Amino acid sequence: MKRKTMALVLSSLMLVMAALTGCSSSNKDSSESAGGSDKQVTLNVWGMGEEAKSLPKIAEDFEKENPNIKIKVQALPWDTAHDKLLTAVASKQGPDVLQLGTTWVPEFGSAKALMDIAPMLDQYPELKPDNFYPGSINTTKFDGATIGVPWYVDTRVLYYRTDILQSVGYNEAPKTWDELKDAATKLKARGGDKYGISLDTKEQSLAFMFARQNGSKLLDGNKPLFNEAPFVEAVDYLNGFFKEELAPIDLGMDIIPAFRDDAITPMFISGPWMVKIINDQAPELEGKWATAVLPKKENNISALGGSNLTVFQYTKHKDEAMKFLAYMSKPETQLKWMELTNSLPAAKEAWNSDVLKNNKNYKVFGDQMEHSEPMPMIKPYEALSQKFLSTFEQIYRANANVQDEMNKYNKEAEDILNNK
Amino acid sequence: MKSSSTAAMKPMKSTNRQEKLFQWFVGIILTIGGILMLIPFFWMVLSSLKHESELMKLPLTIFPSSPTLENFTKLFENMNFAVYLKNTLIIVFFSFIGLFLNAAAGFGFAKYDFKGRDSLFYIVLATMMIPGQVTMIPVYLILNMMNLTNTMIGIVLPGLVGAFGIFLFRQFMSTIPNELLEATRLDGASEFRLFVQIILPLTKPILAVQGILTFIAGWNSFLWPLIIANDEKLYTLSVGLSLLKGQYGGNYALQMAGSAFMIIPVIIIFIIFQKHIIENYTISGMK
Amino acid sequence: MKGSVNRAPYYFIAPTLILLTIFSLLPIFVALFISFTNMDLVGLADYSNIKFVGLKNYINVLADPIFLKSIGNTLFYVIIGVPLVIVCSLGVALMINFGKARIFKAFRVIFYMPAVTNVVAVAVVWGYMYNTKFGLFNYILESIHLPAVPWLTHPVWAKLSLILLAVWRAIGLNMIIFIAALQGIPKSYYEAAQLDGASNWKQLTSITLPMLRFAIFFVSITTMIGWLQFFEEPFIMTQGKPLDSTTSVALFIYRNGFQLSNFGYAAAGSFVLFFAIIIITLIQFKFQNKDTDL
Repeated sequence: MKRKTMALVLSSLMLVMAALTGCSSSNKDSSESAGGSDKQVTLNVWGMGEEAKSLPKIAEDFEKENPNIKIKVQALPWDTAHDKLLTAVASKQGPDVLQLGTTWVPEFGSAKALMDIAPMLDQYPELKPDNFYPGSINTTKFDGATIGVPWYVDTRVLYYRTDILQSVGYNEAPKTWDELKDAATKLKARGGDKYGISLDTKEQSLAFMFARQNGSKLLDGNKPLFNEAPFVEAVDYLNGFFKEELAPIDLGMDIIPAFRDDAITPMFISGPWMVKIINDQAPELEGKWATAVLPKKENNISALGGSNLTVFQYTKHKDEAMKFLAYMSKPETQLKWMELTNSLPAAKEAWNSDVLKNNKNYKVFGDQMEHSEPMPMIKPYEALSQKFLSTFEQIYRANANVQDEMNKYNKEAEDILNNK
Repeated sequence: MKSSSTAAMKPMKSTNRQEKLFQWFVGIILTIGGILMLIPFFWMVLSSLKHESELMKLPLTIFPSSPTLENFTKLFENMNFAVYLKNTLIIVFFSFIGLFLNAAAGFGFAKYDFKGRDSLFYIVLATMMIPGQVTMIPVYLILNMMNLTNTMIGIVLPGLVGAFGIFLFRQFMSTIPNELLEATRLDGASEFRLFVQIILPLTKPILAVQGILTFIAGWNSFLWPLIIANDEKLYTLSVGLSLLKGQYGGNYALQMAGSAFMIIPVIIIFIIFQKHIIENYTISGMK
Repeated sequence: MKGSVNRAPYYFIAPTLILLTIFSLLPIFVALFISFTNMDLVGLADYSNIKFVGLKNYINVLADPIFLKSIGNTLFYVIIGVPLVIVCSLGVALMINFGKARIFKAFRVIFYMPAVTNVVAVAVVWGYMYNTKFGLFNYILESIHLPAVPWLTHPVWAKLSLILLAVWRAIGLNMIIFIAALQGIPKSYYEAAQLDGASNWKQLTSITLPMLRFAIFFVSITTMIGWLQFFEEPFIMTQGKPLDSTTSVALFIYRNGFQLSNFGYAAAGSFVLFFAIIIITLIQFKFQNKDTDL
């Protein structure tokens, strides 16, 4: 009796499971069965976060132009996208087209999970490297291969409160390192709980960016240059802001509340996304803030980021995927994308449009783009930059000696770069 | 809170003055504790009624200056709500089957003496001790081999049973007197009937506890649905919510609305179920 | 009949054991295997790139100062967190169970509510409350003329602040387990004790606590394992800062495994944690066996 009941329960369970598997596998992507180019093809596209929600709107026009291709967009949350991509690489089952943050290119490139599109570039005039900023094109190069094409870009600029800088005698944004320090000192002198500038200690690219401005090459092949003068000086310069309390170490506040009203931190360095965030969260600041290209030392190279569009190595629809990439790279499409998501176009020609030319902020970003380089395109970049952040914390928080710490860090970096 | 453990717990038969005073005392301690527990929760609900610009303003305002439902409207516009809800409910439904299996296993471990019982039980416990991050990729590869990726079954199966549940059931079923089982066996009941008709009703409070936990886990299931699904048709509410977050933050008010929205059903379910934990029931035949 | 009784337990545990074997045990063995290799993303994409490295990962991880620091932090969390959770949740459960007025039923819901909140959402709220300059906690301290506390920025305070948040979230679940157990104690025991004139305190120590030993044992084991795997709070609130003083072992594993894709290294770290948890749990079981007949 009992055994029968047990068996019944178990078998009915199995049945339900089988039914579920059956019905869900039947709607498994039809792309696998489709083969010929004239047949209906479904292209799976993985995009990231909120902005991916706007992708279907762009894809509609593409589908009109190519009636035999259907675009299916899957949005991945930013926080967990990396996990999701790992499993896709492991099972070799992924999308056809994939959005990839520029810092992830070396990692997934080294895993050979993404297609080298170099041999196909001739067929698609939209994808010619000349169409893009050289810094952006660098983010698609890894290990001799061309992995994808720039989609949208971002670069860091200086945000500042015009009214408050004016009150300490700066009618324009600081233009050099010395001016930046001076402005911060004067802003600090406003008294109270005020500071001069907010420097994000969690931002991995910050110190590397300043070191470049000071002439450091960061790496020479596999040899790190982190304990040499240009880099150490830059760290020292940044550390000065914390030591002299021109920048808060633990404000524990978001950028916007600290930027509005009397501005606890009237300057900060960030990317284009902040324009929308300021407008949304602090609309009353309209006309009281501006952006400017970064202050310079030897140069004012900024950190270039953004996302590329790549083709998944194991796709069965190479040509359709390339067509989609080409479509997304057209200046018109890029402008439309900017309209939808406020991300900056990677195609140079798009920057000639009136929308970009007549907007003060966009003009600043355009100028800064001319002086922007991506972070080193090496696989262990993430490990290097994380190690740096904890080294830097020892310096600004625990008052460790800068040169000593950088010697130590350089040694660790050597180990990481040479795989221990 | 420490003082409470020195407090006694069952009322004396007469309600004298001292007893009443003590009731008041305990009530006041709980009220203070309860208010502290609730602060973040109120914050969340109040924030969800604020405009994004007000949320990021200093000094913090407690009550929204101009309450708005705009965040909730945006939430529904942004989410493929019906689909996500359906998937979430399917997962919740299957986790209840898992609950039944856990209870059965807990019973097996608690009330039978069989070869290898202790070692098997230790193995079950051991599965609880490895951080989930380590086994995630192996589990994914196993599901992939079984061709279960991108299916509902692949989302449900790995989390169907769990050591925590088995352990909890075993722990509480151990306290059921053996004489009760023997008496029922003498009446000629099968072992399965014994489990369903005698044991399950006796463990009602624990079933309710586990039921709530199961519901919450299913309701909040996040990482697996995302990893297994290659199609937004299989996304759950939590995955949908996490999509609201941009790469560089922002959308706080919207996220608060989303979180508030996720929590309300859980609280309702809890209010329904907790009656069963607390109802004073008498176990017949138990001394 | 007798035979079916002998086989019955296997039927009860079989479905669960099969599922656990496939989705928990097997993956643990795979992870154990990985811990002896140099597996990273390249290896994951193409298994032929995976090389055996023997014990290298274990040797390196045990020499990694951050790993050792994270072990110290985790022990701190366990030693303070576990007793705190047990005392608080048991205390609340006893008080709620003690109360006779209807209002006490409402307290069950109130104290349980933190357990169902989304940790990301509450982290934002707690972040504001912990804010050194503008936060609620320091505001209260200042208004009663106490010095401000560097909640999340001082190595020891930061750990304590995370513990406070985690205890706040953990009370609810353990409280309902205790309440369920309290409800399982037959009323007749108390009636008999009252007839004998036993005081409330006497009833607590000689009836309630002994009858709760299974529940207390369960809560202490699961809470201990939970704290040894402490992850979400430091991950969201502090990312291990300041100076890695809040990095837990689980956070260390996550960083190396999922952010840096050093799967072999992360797996080695997690097996160190795994064995630590097993040993601690076995010790707890030994104690339980001595006290009671489990």
